[in-house]
Amino acid sequence: MMNPTTKLLSLAAMLMLPFTAVQSAPDVDTIVERANLAAYYAGDDGRTEVRMVIYDAQGREQRRQFTILRRDVADGGDQEFLVVFSRPSDVRGTTFLVKKHIGRDDDRWLYLPGLDLVKRISAGDKRTSFVGAHYFYEDVSGRSPEEDEHEFVEETDEYYVLRHVPKEPGLVEFRDYTTWIDKETWLPMRIEYRNASGDTYRTIEAGAVETIEGFPTVTESRVQDTSLGGYTLMQFRYIDYDIGIPADIFSERSLRRPPLEWLERSEGGD
Amino acid sequence: MRGLLAISLLVLGLATAGLSAQEEDPWGDDDPWAGEGEQGEDPWSDDWGDSWEEENGGVVVTGFAELGAGARLGSVGPVDRRTTLGELRLRGEAEWTGDWLDRSLEAKAVGDVWYDTVTDDLEVEVRNLTLVFSPVADIDVTLGRQVLTWGTGDLLFLNDLFPKDFVSFFAGRDDEYLKAPSDTLRAGFYGGAANVEVAWTPRFQPDEYLTGERFSFFSPRAGTIVAPDPPIGALEPRRYELALRVYRTVRGVEYAGYGYHGYFKQPTAVDADGRLTFAPLTSVGASVRLPLWSGLFNAEFAWYESRDDANGDDPSIPNSQLRFLAGFERELVANFTAGFQYYVEHTRDHDALLENSPTPEFEPEEYRHVLTNRLTYRISQDRWTLSLFTFYSPSDADFYLRPSVSFRQSDEWQFTAGGNWFGGRDDYTFFGQLEDNTNLYVRVRYNY
Repeated sequence: MMNPTTKLLSLAAMLMLPFTAVQSAPDVDTIVERANLAAYYAGDDGRTEVRMVIYDAQGREQRRQFTILRRDVADGGDQEFLVVFSRPSDVRGTTFLVKKHIGRDDDRWLYLPGLDLVKRISAGDKRTSFVGAHYFYEDVSGRSPEEDEHEFVEETDEYYVLRHVPKEPGLVEFRDYTTWIDKETWLPMRIEYRNASGDTYRTIEAGAVETIEGFPTVTESRVQDTSLGGYTLMQFRYIDYDIGIPADIFSERSLRRPPLEWLERSEGGD
Repeated sequence: MRGLLAISLLVLGLATAGLSAQEEDPWGDDDPWAGEGEQGEDPWSDDWGDSWEEENGGVVVTGFAELGAGARLGSVGPVDRRTTLGELRLRGEAEWTGDWLDRSLEAKAVGDVWYDTVTDDLEVEVRNLTLVFSPVADIDVTLGRQVLTWGTGDLLFLNDLFPKDFVSFFAGRDDEYLKAPSDTLRAGFYGGAANVEVAWTPRFQPDEYLTGERFSFFSPRAGTIVAPDPPIGALEPRRYELALRVYRTVRGVEYAGYGYHGYFKQPTAVDADGRLTFAPLTSVGASVRLPLWSGLFNAEFAWYESRDDANGDDPSIPNSQLRFLAGFERELVANFTAGFQYYVEHTRDHDALLENSPTPEFEPEEYRHVLTNRLTYRISQDRWTLSLFTFYSPSDADFYLRPSVSFRQSDEWQFTAGGNWFGGRDDYTFFGQLEDNTNLYVRVRYNY
């Protein structure tokens, strides 16, 4: 027979059970999946305008302005991106098309209007500077979660902290990286890349988050790279989700003639 | 020349103004987000020239000013001039987008005006003057003067029979000038099983070929390197040319088929009066480009049918040719990319050519093999670009090296220096004949 005190304790324990289950962190794969969806797959498609300021180690600055159209082929799966530059003047009219694939290399094309040249960019180039910024080509479309092994580091009041180790270290310049994922929005708020000697040399931070059409969205970010010196700031505006961008927009045709209908701001856009 | 100096001083003045206009870092290095309010000035509002609330559209005007100078290094050769590049160039670009009959319509104009110390003249070139519209949803039409490019080669052209400006290319002008504009109607048909593009040029537009004014070349008739004065002017057919491309991408593999009906782009034929002219040409070809081993592989072939010399026995008209190219490119280490190409030209009926040629010793080999290599190294987020492009032909025993260094000081200021180094065993081969044209050049550009 249990005495009343033990009974009470076991009842409390039973009541606690579901409570603690809610409290404990989801497993690593769930966090990675939700963070990936939150960061790159809001809505079925989207458009945003971007302004970028690139500071080099001497503090000199360069600017870029472009519009990004995105379409998800499948949530968490293949995606397509079209980037159309409007500034600076010598980059104006340059366009960039990405077909992101899960399980095989992404396809990337760059269009140079002066030569009317559609230049293909090899997969090996994905961790090189995107138009002179500290961001890489891969940062634009997102690194596929399957390329890394993920491990849980800790849970803080605000973040899930994960460490990611590349499955093929020869293809990247980092040894591993750590992400701080916001527990409410699932957005990665900080990413730190470490080199072979374990020093953090590259940091990407989300500077501002706004909820747009129901989707928490990073509207300012910064990447800093001590191996290069300097940093790049990015600001996103006129963001719109679920606007119904058709699949055939993401084609060589659009590289030469960007689809104005989808690039223009919509009435209700932020 | 004095005028050029005055303008260059003006350009330098603008350069220093640009340097002093640079502001201090608006966001502190330690905390990028905190500084914004305190300093009362954030990086997003100043210097963009407009507020973000104004949407792009209407008329946009941009361009650049560029100063270029280049000279022969060694022997001047038959061209009695050391300068290969001497110019102050102004570029203007205007773009307008709007609606017409409920469909979007784009108008574009790009033009250069420059003072050229080699021709000692003020030169004008309209590079683009086009209207772009869609008569129906699946068709794009580009009408007017434009630059066109297709095919997979890197500085080797098989199915791209659009005009090229080799004078600009050898003089060290920006790569963009390798492609010369033509007055063309281009129509693209999309959305079917494959995409189809047609380019109809009502009046044949040849390459900008070497005339002897800036660069010397080998003349089989003279049997030596020449630089005719006055420069040569070949007879241009007043007929149309038509180019076609059918392409499709399947799982990342790009397939394309090509056709062309027109003329050889270089004046390699001689008419009945002994004048240089352009022989009729029809070509068909195909290409493929795909990702391979973390790099890119491409292959392309073209069959050049010399319509007026089907048996290859007329020495005044070039023979038919089969051209083939295979290439591979990949990043070797971070920011260092290497590309390799193998290219071969097989001249058909080579025996008939040699039998009938008045100068068989100067005729091309039956197989002309060319190897190319492109090395590109980008430093400090593409601010510096070091590049070396090498052409080497084992069959001709000649070469062409194109080293260059470019520095992007800011979005406005860009500096480029480079060279064009030609050499070879014989005077009559493709690159060997250009040995006396070896030059170094520098360019300074200000974008506005």
